Amino acid sequence: MTLLDTLARFELKADARRYYLGYLWWVLEPMLYVAVFYLVFDKLLDNRQPDFLVFLAVGKLTFIWFSKSVNQAGMSLVQNRGLIAQIDLPKHLFPMAILHEGLYRQLAVFLFLVGFLALAGFTPTALWWWLVPLAMIQYVLIIGCSLLAALLVCVRRDFQLFIQLGTVFLLFMSGVFWDVSSISDPDLAYWLQVLNPLVVLLDSYRQILLWSQVPNVSALLWVCVESAVLLATALYLYRRLHYWLASRAITQ
Amino acid sequence: MNPLLTLNDVGMRYPLSSSPDGWYRVFDGVDFTLYPGERVGIVGRNGVGKSTLLRLMARIFAPSHGSVVWAPNTSVSLLSLGLGFRLDLTGRENALLSCLLQGHSKKAAKDCLPGIEAFCELGPFFDQPVKTYSSGMRARLGFGTALLNRSAVILIDEILGVGDAAFRAKAREALKQQLARERSVVIVSHADFQIKSLCDSAVWLDAGGIKLAGDPEAVLDAYNAAEEP
Repeated sequence: MTLLDTLARFELKADARRYYLGYLWWVLEPMLYVAVFYLVFDKLLDNRQPDFLVFLAVGKLTFIWFSKSVNQAGMSLVQNRGLIAQIDLPKHLFPMAILHEGLYRQLAVFLFLVGFLALAGFTPTALWWWLVPLAMIQYVLIIGCSLLAALLVCVRRDFQLFIQLGTVFLLFMSGVFWDVSSISDPDLAYWLQVLNPLVVLLDSYRQILLWSQVPNVSALLWVCVESAVLLATALYLYRRLHYWLASRAITQ
Repeated sequence: MNPLLTLNDVGMRYPLSSSPDGWYRVFDGVDFTLYPGERVGIVGRNGVGKSTLLRLMARIFAPSHGSVVWAPNTSVSLLSLGLGFRLDLTGRENALLSCLLQGHSKKAAKDCLPGIEAFCELGPFFDQPVKTYSSGMRARLGFGTALLNRSAVILIDEILGVGDAAFRAKAREALKQQLARERSVVIVSHADFQIKSLCDSAVWLDAGGIKLAGDPEAVLDAYNAAEEP
Protein backbone atom coordinates (compact mmCIF):
# COMPACT_ATOMS: atom_id res chain seq x y z
CA MET A 1 0.00 0.00 0.00
CA THR A 2 2.84 2.41 0.88
CA LEU A 3 4.51 1.45 -2.36
CA LEU A 4 1.36 1.96 -4.40
CA ASP A 5 0.65 5.28 -2.79
CA THR A 6 4.24 6.49 -3.22
CA LEU A 7 4.25 5.41 -6.85
CA ALA A 8 0.97 7.24 -7.45
CA ARG A 9 2.01 10.39 -5.65
CA PHE A 10 5.41 10.50 -7.35
CA GLU A 11 3.64 10.12 -10.66
CA LEU A 12 1.34 13.02 -9.82
CA LYS A 13 4.40 15.06 -8.91
CA ALA A 14 6.15 14.11 -12.14
CA ASP A 15 3.04 14.96 -14.08
CA ALA A 16 2.74 18.35 -12.44
CA ARG A 17 6.38 19.00 -13.39
CA ARG A 18 5.78 18.04 -17.00
CA TYR A 19 3.11 20.68 -17.49
CA TYR A 20 3.63 24.38 -17.08
CA LEU A 21 0.28 24.76 -15.30
CA GLY A 22 1.04 21.80 -13.03
CA TYR A 23 -1.59 20.91 -10.45
CA LEU A 24 -3.92 23.58 -11.85
CA TRP A 25 -4.86 21.07 -14.55
CA TRP A 26 -6.75 19.02 -12.00
CA VAL A 27 -9.58 21.60 -12.00
CA LEU A 28 -8.81 23.21 -15.31
CA GLU A 29 -9.54 20.07 -17.26
CA PRO A 30 -13.10 19.47 -15.99
CA MET A 31 -13.74 23.22 -16.28
CA LEU A 32 -12.71 23.20 -19.91
CA TYR A 33 -14.99 20.24 -20.62
CA VAL A 34 -17.95 22.09 -19.19
CA ALA A 35 -16.97 25.23 -21.12
CA VAL A 36 -16.79 23.27 -24.37
CA PHE A 37 -20.18 21.67 -23.72
CA TYR A 38 -21.65 25.06 -22.98
CA LEU A 39 -20.24 26.47 -26.21
CA VAL A 40 -21.33 23.56 -28.41
CA PHE A 41 -24.67 22.56 -26.99
CA ASP A 42 -25.97 25.77 -25.48
CA LYS A 43 -24.67 28.35 -27.92
CA LEU A 44 -23.91 26.56 -31.20
CA LEU A 45 -26.70 23.97 -31.28
CA ASP A 46 -29.07 26.13 -29.23
CA ASN A 47 -30.25 23.21 -27.12
CA ARG A 48 -33.58 23.90 -25.42
CA GLN A 49 -33.53 20.93 -23.04
CA PRO A 50 -33.49 22.34 -19.50
CA ASP A 51 -30.35 21.62 -17.51
CA PHE A 52 -28.67 19.86 -20.43
CA LEU A 53 -25.33 21.37 -19.44
CA VAL A 54 -25.38 19.85 -15.93
CA PHE A 55 -26.75 16.61 -17.40
CA LEU A 56 -23.71 16.43 -19.69
CA ALA A 57 -21.26 17.52 -17.01
CA VAL A 58 -22.32 14.73 -14.64
CA GLY A 59 -22.18 12.14 -17.43
CA LYS A 60 -18.92 13.23 -18.96
CA LEU A 61 -16.95 13.92 -15.79
CA THR A 62 -17.77 10.50 -14.38
CA PHE A 63 -17.33 8.70 -17.71
CA ILE A 64 -13.92 10.24 -18.30
CA TRP A 65 -12.65 8.74 -15.07
CA PHE A 66 -13.31 5.35 -16.60
CA SER A 67 -12.01 6.08 -20.10
CA LYS A 68 -8.81 7.83 -19.04
CA SER A 69 -7.99 5.22 -16.44
CA VAL A 70 -8.46 2.29 -18.81
CA ASN A 71 -6.44 3.92 -21.58
CA GLN A 72 -3.57 5.01 -19.35
CA ALA A 73 -3.42 1.88 -17.24
CA GLY A 74 -3.60 -0.17 -20.44
CA MET A 75 -0.12 1.05 -21.35
CA SER A 76 1.35 0.58 -17.89
CA LEU A 77 2.93 -2.87 -18.25
CA VAL A 78 4.57 -2.02 -21.54
CA GLN A 79 5.74 1.36 -20.29
CA ASN A 80 7.24 -0.09 -17.12
CA ARG A 81 9.24 -2.75 -18.90
CA GLY A 82 12.41 -1.22 -17.49
CA LEU A 83 11.32 -1.89 -13.93
CA ILE A 84 9.75 -5.21 -14.83
CA ALA A 85 13.12 -6.26 -16.26
CA GLN A 86 14.84 -5.39 -13.00
CA ILE A 87 12.64 -6.33 -10.10
CA ASP A 88 10.26 -9.20 -9.57
CA LEU A 89 7.06 -7.47 -8.52
CA PRO A 90 3.38 -8.38 -8.72
CA LYS A 91 2.54 -7.12 -12.19
CA HIS A 92 -0.83 -5.66 -11.26
CA LEU A 93 1.09 -3.08 -9.25
CA PHE A 94 1.81 -1.06 -12.40
CA PRO A 95 -1.77 -0.54 -13.62
CA MET A 96 -2.88 -0.13 -10.00
CA ALA A 97 -0.41 2.73 -9.48
CA ILE A 98 -1.90 4.56 -12.47
CA LEU A 99 -5.42 3.95 -11.18
CA HIS A 100 -4.51 5.12 -7.71
CA GLU A 101 -3.15 8.28 -9.27
CA GLY A 102 -6.37 8.68 -11.26
CA LEU A 103 -8.36 8.26 -8.06
CA TYR A 104 -6.61 11.28 -6.54
CA ARG A 105 -7.41 13.31 -9.64
CA GLN A 106 -11.01 12.16 -9.70
CA LEU A 107 -11.49 13.32 -6.10
CA ALA A 108 -10.66 16.81 -7.35
CA VAL A 109 -13.07 16.34 -10.25
CA PHE A 110 -15.86 15.27 -7.89
CA LEU A 111 -15.22 18.32 -5.74
CA PHE A 112 -15.38 20.50 -8.83
CA LEU A 113 -18.60 18.78 -9.91
CA VAL A 114 -20.25 19.30 -6.53
CA GLY A 115 -19.23 22.97 -6.59
CA PHE A 116 -20.41 23.41 -10.15
CA LEU A 117 -23.78 21.82 -9.39
CA ALA A 118 -24.20 23.94 -6.29
CA LEU A 119 -23.53 27.06 -8.40
CA ALA A 120 -26.04 25.83 -10.97
CA GLY A 121 -28.71 25.72 -8.29
CA PHE A 122 -28.61 22.07 -7.23
CA THR A 123 -28.44 22.10 -3.46
CA PRO A 124 -26.68 19.12 -1.91
CA THR A 125 -29.03 16.72 -0.13
CA ALA A 126 -28.46 13.64 2.01
CA LEU A 127 -28.89 11.64 -1.19
CA TRP A 128 -25.53 12.95 -2.37
CA TRP A 129 -23.88 10.58 0.11
CA TRP A 130 -24.70 7.95 -2.48
CA LEU A 131 -21.69 9.38 -4.32
CA VAL A 132 -19.42 7.36 -2.02
CA PRO A 133 -20.76 3.86 -2.80
CA LEU A 134 -21.29 4.78 -6.46
CA ALA A 135 -17.67 5.93 -6.82
CA MET A 136 -16.50 2.79 -5.02
CA ILE A 137 -18.42 0.54 -7.39
CA GLN A 138 -17.12 2.49 -10.36
CA TYR A 139 -13.57 2.17 -9.05
CA VAL A 140 -13.86 -1.61 -8.81
CA LEU A 141 -15.19 -1.67 -12.38
CA ILE A 142 -12.29 0.55 -13.49
CA ILE A 143 -9.73 -1.69 -11.79
CA GLY A 144 -11.14 -4.83 -13.41
CA CYS A 145 -11.27 -3.32 -16.90
CA SER A 146 -7.87 -1.62 -16.60
CA LEU A 147 -6.06 -4.74 -15.42
CA LEU A 148 -7.48 -6.65 -18.36
CA ALA A 149 -6.62 -3.80 -20.73
CA ALA A 150 -2.99 -3.74 -19.56
CA LEU A 151 -2.78 -7.49 -19.97
CA LEU A 152 -4.17 -7.37 -23.51
CA VAL A 153 -1.77 -4.59 -24.54
CA CYS A 154 1.04 -6.72 -23.16
CA VAL A 155 -0.12 -9.64 -25.32
CA ARG A 156 -0.34 -7.55 -28.46
CA ARG A 157 0.27 -3.84 -28.80
CA ASP A 158 -2.62 -3.66 -31.29
CA PHE A 159 -5.06 -3.93 -28.41
CA GLN A 160 -4.07 -0.42 -27.41
CA LEU A 161 -5.84 0.87 -30.53
CA PHE A 162 -8.84 -1.37 -29.90
CA ILE A 163 -9.09 -0.05 -26.37
CA GLN A 164 -8.91 3.55 -27.56
CA LEU A 165 -11.67 2.92 -30.08
CA GLY A 166 -13.61 0.91 -27.51
CA THR A 167 -13.69 3.79 -25.05
CA VAL A 168 -14.88 6.16 -27.82
CA PHE A 169 -17.61 3.64 -28.62
CA LEU A 170 -18.52 3.50 -24.93
CA LEU A 171 -18.65 7.29 -24.79
CA PHE A 172 -21.63 7.10 -27.13
CA MET A 173 -23.08 3.90 -25.68
CA SER A 174 -23.03 4.75 -21.97
CA GLY A 175 -25.51 7.59 -21.83
CA VAL A 176 -23.14 10.53 -21.61
CA PHE A 177 -25.26 12.35 -24.18
CA TRP A 178 -28.62 10.64 -23.67
CA ASP A 179 -30.84 9.56 -20.83
CA VAL A 180 -31.51 5.85 -20.61
CA SER A 181 -35.10 6.48 -19.46
CA SER A 182 -35.80 8.33 -22.70
CA ILE A 183 -35.15 5.21 -24.80
CA SER A 184 -38.55 4.20 -26.12
CA ASP A 185 -37.84 0.48 -26.61
CA PRO A 186 -37.93 -1.03 -23.09
CA ASP A 187 -36.04 -4.15 -24.21
CA LEU A 188 -33.22 -2.09 -25.61
CA ALA A 189 -33.01 0.02 -22.46
CA TYR A 190 -32.97 -3.16 -20.37
CA TRP A 191 -30.15 -4.79 -22.33
CA LEU A 192 -28.11 -1.60 -22.41
CA GLN A 193 -28.19 -1.59 -18.63
CA VAL A 194 -27.45 -5.29 -18.32
CA LEU A 195 -24.53 -5.30 -20.74
CA ASN A 196 -22.96 -1.94 -20.03
CA PRO A 197 -22.44 -1.21 -16.32
CA LEU A 198 -21.53 2.38 -17.17
CA VAL A 199 -25.14 3.06 -18.28
CA VAL A 200 -26.37 2.17 -14.80
CA LEU A 201 -23.59 4.10 -13.05
CA LEU A 202 -24.02 7.30 -15.06
CA ASP A 203 -27.79 7.13 -14.63
CA SER A 204 -27.37 6.61 -10.87
CA TYR A 205 -25.07 9.62 -10.56
CA ARG A 206 -27.69 11.77 -12.28
CA GLN A 207 -30.51 10.38 -10.19
CA ILE A 208 -28.87 11.36 -6.93
CA LEU A 209 -27.26 14.63 -8.05
CA LEU A 210 -29.84 16.07 -10.40
CA TRP A 211 -33.18 14.40 -9.81
CA SER A 212 -33.07 13.71 -6.05
CA GLN A 213 -33.98 10.06 -6.52
CA VAL A 214 -32.65 6.92 -4.92
CA PRO A 215 -30.84 4.95 -7.63
CA ASN A 216 -32.04 1.54 -8.78
CA VAL A 217 -30.43 -0.70 -6.17
CA SER A 218 -30.94 -4.02 -7.96
CA ALA A 219 -29.36 -2.63 -11.14
CA LEU A 220 -26.43 -1.39 -9.05
CA LEU A 221 -26.05 -4.79 -7.42
CA TRP A 222 -25.80 -6.31 -10.88
CA VAL A 223 -23.03 -3.80 -11.68
CA CYS A 224 -21.27 -4.92 -8.49
CA VAL A 225 -21.44 -8.53 -9.66
CA GLU A 226 -20.12 -7.65 -13.13
CA SER A 227 -17.27 -5.57 -11.69
CA ALA A 228 -16.34 -8.25 -9.17
CA VAL A 229 -16.25 -10.94 -11.86
CA LEU A 230 -14.03 -8.77 -14.08
CA LEU A 231 -11.69 -8.02 -11.18
CA ALA A 232 -11.48 -11.65 -10.05
CA THR A 233 -10.77 -12.80 -13.60
CA ALA A 234 -8.07 -10.19 -14.00
CA LEU A 235 -6.37 -11.05 -10.71
CA TYR A 236 -6.48 -14.75 -11.53
CA LEU A 237 -4.85 -14.11 -14.90
CA TYR A 238 -2.16 -11.89 -13.39
CA ARG A 239 -1.24 -14.57 -10.92
CA ARG A 240 -1.33 -17.31 -13.52
CA LEU A 241 0.68 -15.37 -16.12
CA HIS A 242 3.14 -13.69 -13.74
CA TYR A 243 6.39 -14.75 -15.48
CA TRP A 244 4.91 -14.86 -18.93
CA LEU A 245 3.80 -11.23 -18.60
CA ALA A 246 7.34 -10.22 -17.61
CA SER A 247 8.96 -11.84 -20.62
CA ARG A 248 6.20 -10.51 -22.87
CA ALA A 249 6.54 -6.94 -21.58
CA ILE A 250 10.32 -7.03 -21.96
CA THR A 251 10.67 -8.79 -25.29
CA GLN A 252 7.63 -7.57 -27.19
CA MET B 1 27.98 -23.56 3.88
CA ASN B 2 24.59 -23.66 2.19
CA PRO B 3 24.35 -22.06 -1.25
CA LEU B 4 22.29 -18.90 -1.66
CA LEU B 5 21.26 -19.79 -5.15
CA THR B 6 21.13 -23.04 -7.06
CA LEU B 7 20.34 -23.38 -10.75
CA ASN B 8 19.62 -26.94 -11.67
CA ASP B 9 19.60 -28.02 -15.33
CA VAL B 10 18.09 -24.68 -16.30
CA GLY B 11 16.99 -24.07 -19.88
CA MET B 12 15.38 -21.08 -21.49
CA ARG B 13 13.60 -20.69 -24.79
CA TYR B 14 11.50 -18.03 -26.46
CA PRO B 15 8.84 -18.44 -29.11
CA LEU B 16 10.31 -17.45 -32.48
CA SER B 17 8.18 -17.73 -35.57
CA SER B 18 11.09 -17.82 -38.02
CA SER B 19 12.70 -20.93 -36.50
CA PRO B 20 11.66 -24.37 -37.83
CA ASP B 21 10.08 -25.63 -34.60
CA GLY B 22 8.82 -22.20 -33.49
CA TRP B 23 11.29 -21.82 -30.61
CA TYR B 24 14.57 -20.09 -30.05
CA ARG B 25 16.66 -21.96 -27.48
CA VAL B 26 18.85 -19.54 -25.55
CA PHE B 27 20.60 -22.19 -23.47
CA ASP B 28 20.05 -25.58 -21.92
CA GLY B 29 21.36 -27.61 -19.00
CA VAL B 30 22.83 -24.72 -17.01
CA ASP B 31 23.99 -25.73 -13.51
CA PHE B 32 25.17 -22.98 -11.22
CA THR B 33 25.57 -22.33 -7.50
CA LEU B 34 26.26 -19.11 -5.67
CA TYR B 35 27.53 -19.07 -2.09
CA PRO B 36 27.38 -16.20 0.41
CA GLY B 37 30.12 -13.66 -0.28
CA GLU B 38 31.04 -15.18 -3.63
CA ARG B 39 31.75 -13.01 -6.68
CA VAL B 40 31.21 -14.62 -10.02
CA GLY B 41 31.90 -13.14 -13.43
CA ILE B 42 29.98 -14.20 -16.52
CA VAL B 43 31.57 -13.81 -19.95
CA GLY B 44 30.36 -14.70 -23.40
CA ARG B 45 29.60 -13.31 -26.82
CA ASN B 46 26.62 -11.02 -27.48
CA GLY B 47 23.34 -12.87 -27.65
CA VAL B 48 24.29 -16.05 -25.79
CA GLY B 49 21.85 -15.22 -22.99
CA LYS B 50 23.92 -13.55 -20.28
CA SER B 51 21.22 -11.01 -19.47
CA THR B 52 18.56 -13.70 -19.65
CA LEU B 53 20.56 -15.77 -17.17
CA LEU B 54 20.72 -12.84 -14.77
CA ARG B 55 16.97 -12.32 -15.12
CA LEU B 56 16.37 -15.96 -14.32
CA MET B 57 18.53 -15.54 -11.24
CA ALA B 58 16.58 -12.42 -10.28
CA ARG B 59 13.31 -14.38 -10.56
CA ILE B 60 12.04 -12.07 -13.27
CA PHE B 61 11.69 -14.94 -15.72
CA ALA B 62 10.76 -18.49 -14.92
CA PRO B 63 12.99 -21.05 -16.65
CA SER B 64 11.48 -23.08 -19.48
CA HIS B 65 12.77 -26.13 -17.66
CA GLY B 66 14.95 -26.89 -14.66
CA SER B 67 14.79 -25.08 -11.34
CA VAL B 68 16.04 -21.85 -9.80
CA VAL B 69 16.16 -22.14 -6.01
CA TRP B 70 17.00 -19.35 -3.61
CA ALA B 71 17.77 -19.74 0.08
CA PRO B 72 14.77 -18.41 2.05
CA ASN B 73 14.55 -14.64 2.57
CA THR B 74 17.37 -13.72 0.23
CA SER B 75 16.99 -10.26 -1.27
CA VAL B 76 18.34 -9.80 -4.77
CA SER B 77 18.78 -6.70 -6.87
CA LEU B 78 19.48 -6.70 -10.54
CA LEU B 79 21.29 -3.75 -11.98
CA SER B 80 21.25 -2.98 -15.66
CA LEU B 81 21.97 0.16 -17.55
CA GLY B 82 19.44 2.94 -17.94
CA LEU B 83 16.45 0.86 -16.97
CA GLY B 84 13.84 1.46 -14.41
CA PHE B 85 14.26 5.15 -13.81
CA ARG B 86 11.35 7.50 -14.13
CA LEU B 87 12.75 10.37 -16.10
CA ASP B 88 10.51 13.09 -14.68
CA LEU B 89 11.42 12.21 -11.12
CA THR B 90 14.57 13.40 -9.38
CA GLY B 91 17.50 11.18 -8.51
CA ARG B 92 16.44 11.25 -4.87
CA GLU B 93 12.87 10.24 -5.68
CA ASN B 94 14.04 7.47 -7.98
CA ALA B 95 16.44 6.19 -5.33
CA LEU B 96 13.66 6.16 -2.74
CA LEU B 97 11.30 4.42 -5.12
CA SER B 98 13.92 1.88 -5.99
CA CYS B 99 14.46 1.03 -2.30
CA LEU B 100 10.70 0.72 -1.77
CA LEU B 101 10.42 -1.53 -4.82
CA GLN B 102 13.12 -3.76 -3.35
CA GLY B 103 10.78 -4.30 -0.44
CA HIS B 104 12.13 -1.86 2.15
CA SER B 105 9.81 0.05 4.45
CA LYS B 106 9.50 3.76 3.86
CA LYS B 107 11.67 4.51 6.87
CA ALA B 108 14.37 2.05 5.84
CA ALA B 109 14.26 3.47 2.31
CA LYS B 110 14.72 6.99 3.62
CA ASP B 111 17.63 5.84 5.77
CA CYS B 112 19.39 4.55 2.66
CA LEU B 113 19.20 7.92 0.90
CA PRO B 114 22.12 9.82 2.49
CA GLY B 115 24.48 6.95 1.68
CA ILE B 116 23.26 6.75 -1.90
CA GLU B 117 23.55 10.52 -2.32
CA ALA B 118 27.11 10.53 -1.01
CA PHE B 119 28.15 7.58 -3.12
CA CYS B 120 26.69 8.84 -6.42
CA GLU B 121 28.49 12.21 -6.20
CA LEU B 122 25.83 13.86 -8.30
CA GLY B 123 25.92 17.08 -6.30
CA PRO B 124 22.91 19.31 -6.91
CA PHE B 125 21.79 17.00 -9.73
CA PHE B 126 20.59 14.49 -7.13
CA ASP B 127 17.53 16.73 -6.77
CA GLN B 128 17.05 17.29 -10.49
CA PRO B 129 14.88 15.15 -12.79
CA VAL B 130 16.77 12.14 -14.16
CA LYS B 131 15.98 13.27 -17.71
CA THR B 132 18.61 15.98 -17.26
CA TYR B 133 21.31 13.38 -16.47
CA SER B 134 24.07 12.21 -18.76
CA SER B 135 24.33 8.46 -19.29
CA GLY B 136 27.27 8.33 -16.89
CA MET B 137 25.26 10.10 -14.22
CA ARG B 138 22.38 7.68 -14.68
CA ALA B 139 24.77 4.79 -14.28
CA ARG B 140 26.13 6.30 -11.07
CA LEU B 141 22.64 6.64 -9.69
CA GLY B 142 21.75 3.10 -10.71
CA PHE B 143 24.92 1.68 -9.27
CA GLY B 144 24.70 3.67 -6.04
CA THR B 145 21.07 2.69 -5.55
CA ALA B 146 21.69 -1.00 -6.08
CA LEU B 147 24.86 -1.06 -4.04
CA LEU B 148 23.46 0.69 -1.01
CA ASN B 149 20.00 -0.82 -0.84
CA ARG B 150 21.21 -3.62 1.41
CA SER B 151 20.05 -6.54 -0.67
CA ALA B 152 22.09 -9.69 -0.06
CA VAL B 153 22.88 -10.36 -3.69
CA ILE B 154 23.66 -7.94 -6.50
CA LEU B 155 23.45 -9.00 -10.12
CA ILE B 156 25.24 -6.57 -12.39
CA ASP B 157 24.61 -6.46 -16.11
CA GLU B 158 27.45 -4.69 -17.91
CA ILE B 159 27.32 -1.39 -16.14
CA LEU B 160 30.79 -1.25 -14.65
CA GLY B 161 32.17 0.08 -17.90
CA VAL B 162 30.26 3.33 -17.68
CA GLY B 163 31.00 6.55 -15.87
CA ASP B 164 34.38 8.24 -15.89
CA ALA B 165 37.61 6.58 -14.80
CA ALA B 166 37.41 7.94 -11.27
CA PHE B 167 33.90 6.63 -10.74
CA ARG B 168 34.76 3.26 -12.26
CA ALA B 169 37.62 2.90 -9.82
CA LYS B 170 35.34 3.89 -6.97
CA ALA B 171 32.67 1.44 -8.09
CA ARG B 172 35.24 -1.38 -8.23
CA GLU B 173 36.54 -0.46 -4.80
CA ALA B 174 33.01 -0.36 -3.40
CA LEU B 175 32.27 -3.78 -4.89
CA LYS B 176 35.41 -5.21 -3.33
CA GLN B 177 34.26 -3.98 0.06
CA GLN B 178 31.00 -5.85 -0.37
CA LEU B 179 32.86 -9.10 0.12
CA ALA B 180 33.60 -8.12 3.68
CA ARG B 181 29.89 -7.57 4.19
CA GLU B 182 29.05 -11.06 3.00
CA ARG B 183 27.21 -9.89 -0.07
CA SER B 184 27.34 -11.95 -3.20
CA VAL B 185 27.82 -10.48 -6.62
CA VAL B 186 27.29 -11.83 -10.12
CA ILE B 187 28.78 -9.65 -12.84
CA VAL B 188 28.28 -9.79 -16.57
CA SER B 189 31.11 -7.90 -18.20
CA HIS B 190 33.05 -7.64 -21.41
CA ALA B 191 36.04 -6.11 -19.64
CA ASP B 192 38.55 -8.82 -18.70
CA PHE B 193 40.33 -6.76 -16.09
CA GLN B 194 37.08 -6.22 -14.17
CA ILE B 195 36.39 -9.92 -13.96
CA LYS B 196 39.99 -10.66 -13.04
CA SER B 197 40.21 -7.99 -10.35
CA LEU B 198 36.76 -8.51 -8.87
CA CYS B 199 35.74 -12.12 -9.18
CA ASP B 200 36.77 -15.34 -7.45
CA SER B 201 35.37 -17.43 -10.26
CA ALA B 202 34.08 -17.03 -13.78
CA VAL B 203 31.61 -18.70 -16.08
CA TRP B 204 31.86 -18.73 -19.87
CA LEU B 205 28.42 -18.88 -21.39
CA ASP B 206 28.38 -19.93 -25.02
CA ALA B 207 25.61 -20.72 -27.47
CA GLY B 208 23.59 -23.47 -25.85
CA GLY B 209 24.99 -23.47 -22.34
CA ILE B 210 27.98 -23.17 -20.03
CA LYS B 211 31.23 -23.92 -21.83
CA LEU B 212 33.65 -23.54 -18.97
CA ALA B 213 33.58 -22.51 -15.32
CA GLY B 214 36.26 -22.02 -12.71
CA ASP B 215 39.25 -19.79 -12.07
CA PRO B 216 38.75 -16.36 -13.75
CA GLU B 217 42.21 -16.34 -15.39
CA ALA B 218 41.75 -19.77 -16.91
CA VAL B 219 38.19 -19.12 -18.10
CA LEU B 220 39.11 -15.78 -19.66
CA ASP B 221 42.18 -17.23 -21.38
CA ALA B 222 40.12 -20.02 -22.90
CA TYR B 223 37.35 -17.62 -23.88
CA ASN B 224 39.73 -15.11 -25.48
CA ALA B 225 41.60 -17.86 -27.32
CA ALA B 226 38.34 -19.14 -28.80
CA GLU B 227 37.17 -15.66 -29.75
CA GLU B 228 40.35 -14.61 -31.56
CA PRO B 229 39.97 -14.86 -35.30
